Amino acid sequence: MKLLMIDDDTGLCELLSEYLTAQGFEIQSVHDGEQGLKLAQVNDYALILLDVMLPTLDGFEVLKQLRQTKLTPVIMLTAKGEDFDRIFGLELGADDYIPKPFNHRELLARVKAITRRIEHINSFNITTSNKLQVNGITVNLAAREASVNDHTLTLTGTEYEILALLSKNAGEVVSKELISEEVLGRRLASFDRSIDMHVSNIRKKIAEHISGERIKTMRGTGYVFIQGE
Amino acid sequence: MSLSKENKVGSLSWLKHPGHYLFFKIFIWFWLTIIGTITALVFLSNITAINAVSNEPLHGPMEKNLLYTAKSIERSVVKHKRTLSDMLSHPRLSKRKLLYLSAEQQEDSLTNKEVPNDVDLSLLNFTKTMSPQIIFTEKYQAFGPIQITVPSGNFYLYEIDINHQPPLFLRLKLMPGWMKVSIAIIASLILSFLFSRNLIAPINSLKKAAVKLSGGDLSARAAISVSRKDELGILGRDFNSMANQLEQLISSQKRLLADISHELRSPLTRLKMATGLAQMQANEASQSYLLRIEKEANQLDKMIADVLQVSRLEAKSQALSLQQQSLQIIIDHVLNDAQFEAKQNNKQLQIMGSADISVNCDETLIASALENLLRNAIKYANSTISITLKHTDAIYIEICDDGPGVPNNQLNKLCEPFFRQSDARDRVSGGTGLGLAIAKNAITAHGGNLVLSNKEQGGLCANITLPIIKE
Repeated sequence: MKLLMIDDDTGLCELLSEYLTAQGFEIQSVHDGEQGLKLAQVNDYALILLDVMLPTLDGFEVLKQLRQTKLTPVIMLTAKGEDFDRIFGLELGADDYIPKPFNHRELLARVKAITRRIEHINSFNITTSNKLQVNGITVNLAAREASVNDHTLTLTGTEYEILALLSKNAGEVVSKELISEEVLGRRLASFDRSIDMHVSNIRKKIAEHISGERIKTMRGTGYVFIQGE
Repeated sequence: MSLSKENKVGSLSWLKHPGHYLFFKIFIWFWLTIIGTITALVFLSNITAINAVSNEPLHGPMEKNLLYTAKSIERSVVKHKRTLSDMLSHPRLSKRKLLYLSAEQQEDSLTNKEVPNDVDLSLLNFTKTMSPQIIFTEKYQAFGPIQITVPSGNFYLYEIDINHQPPLFLRLKLMPGWMKVSIAIIASLILSFLFSRNLIAPINSLKKAAVKLSGGDLSARAAISVSRKDELGILGRDFNSMANQLEQLISSQKRLLADISHELRSPLTRLKMATGLAQMQANEASQSYLLRIEKEANQLDKMIADVLQVSRLEAKSQALSLQQQSLQIIIDHVLNDAQFEAKQNNKQLQIMGSADISVNCDETLIASALENLLRNAIKYANSTISITLKHTDAIYIEICDDGPGVPNNQLNKLCEPFFRQSDARDRVSGGTGLGLAIAKNAITAHGGNLVLSNKEQGGLCANITLPIIKE
């Protein structure tokens, strides 16, 4: 499985690719934003590890421009560690973030959580049509995409996973902890807003095609996908 | 912040306390000075100017004309042996303007026409000895005197223009007192107002800029015109250059903080990564050392994060991400973790009361404040940590331990970054020495207050007061 790492820290790139190669991934690393964006647009990577502070083009800008054409999963590597950075990254469509300095095991867990579905697709037989239809929204579990009124939603991998999880459990409250563990492969930290950000992105994308609330917030507990009549 | 509180009590406060405003002081004093000066001048001029008459020398054609008239009257009287009164009633003269022949005795004086009642010719008696003049009075303008010597005695000829408006300065002089006073008051009022405003406007603009600046708006500048060259203009420009300097310093400090965090964390990330790789290949013996390296790296990471947070909070450069949130949810989160930590240390938490009230706050900051205080309490407690929650007009949170407490003279130093007591409170459980500083700053950032005190029966108490801020 091929990963792209965009980080200006060459030392870290070397160490990380050594580590991830040992874990069975194939790593390509570049050290500036512009070059990284070009590679990401041309090739299909299983995942991109994207640093925020980069020469020529910063991480947010790379993500913004990439998202206009591609939904390749992105994990942001943030060094600033400020709240704003993380939320901004998630708003732009990052799948997850991991603050530097990170634990190698934690990074691996997150990379695996997000790349899992690629393996899933490969092992699945696409011809077996497996569709869920809930309240005007169709989730195609085989093709791993969701649509509203025949408009395919441009969801990132993480957003799709969350929507699929919610629609499989339509009408029931799904806790944020469960979503975090199932989709991001990690325990939800206190006051972590990542899930809320992803859900808000999903809501926005659904609202472009259909009116009415589909995903309801249960304060303090989680989210419910509202079943139609 | 303290700056902004002054002079901000409602828009009409200047009516209640004009004494608090420099504008009114300058305005009143300047105005009073002008009024005083005018009053004094008027008073003095009233003492000297007894009669309301003024005059200036008569020259040119008018004088010649008058001399000619006098000569012809004189000649006619001698030649035709007429009386003066006959002469005056002669059509040639009676058609002219009012002619007045003043005699030595007022009763003997003559005119060529009926004199209106309100015209007082006796005013002219004082001028008889003068050379020809134009004499201004309230009602008329007189030209003369020209002496006429006839057998019946000496007369003085005046030609009088009754319809003539008195000149401006005389009119002013003759104005009734109340009008003079009100004109003076109104004129000086406008002048004083303009003067004080001109003086105060740059000060006010300086004040506004200073308040904005202290409130964190670093782009605030005083609006002082470049052409203003006086002291206030210089002060304003100095203020602006100071603000420029400040903005530059603070932005470079912020950049420095971000840079430090980035630069220190990059090698730390590499260190952890390398440790991870080493752990994959290491044998049993070196594994424990690698774990130790990892632990120390984590400690270093925590320290960098804490230093950054304290300096951001102290510089007030951290924007609070405020959210309407029930305080109880935040407290429950923190208490869950604390409960776990206390159990591990064989200590127990006693929680009394609740704080189920929705407030507008930055939950991560409040949580980190409570976390740090609780961790501190758990660290030093012998067996029990008691937490009391209460909300009335504000939110009160009390966290007490039953440990050894702190010498009273060191209580207020506890919240200083990296403050350590030399003896009892040592770094045992790996704190960074910044926990209480973070707690204090986080609470202050919410407009609250943290007070540390010793309990009588021993142990340290942290009292948090948080104002209830709604959206």
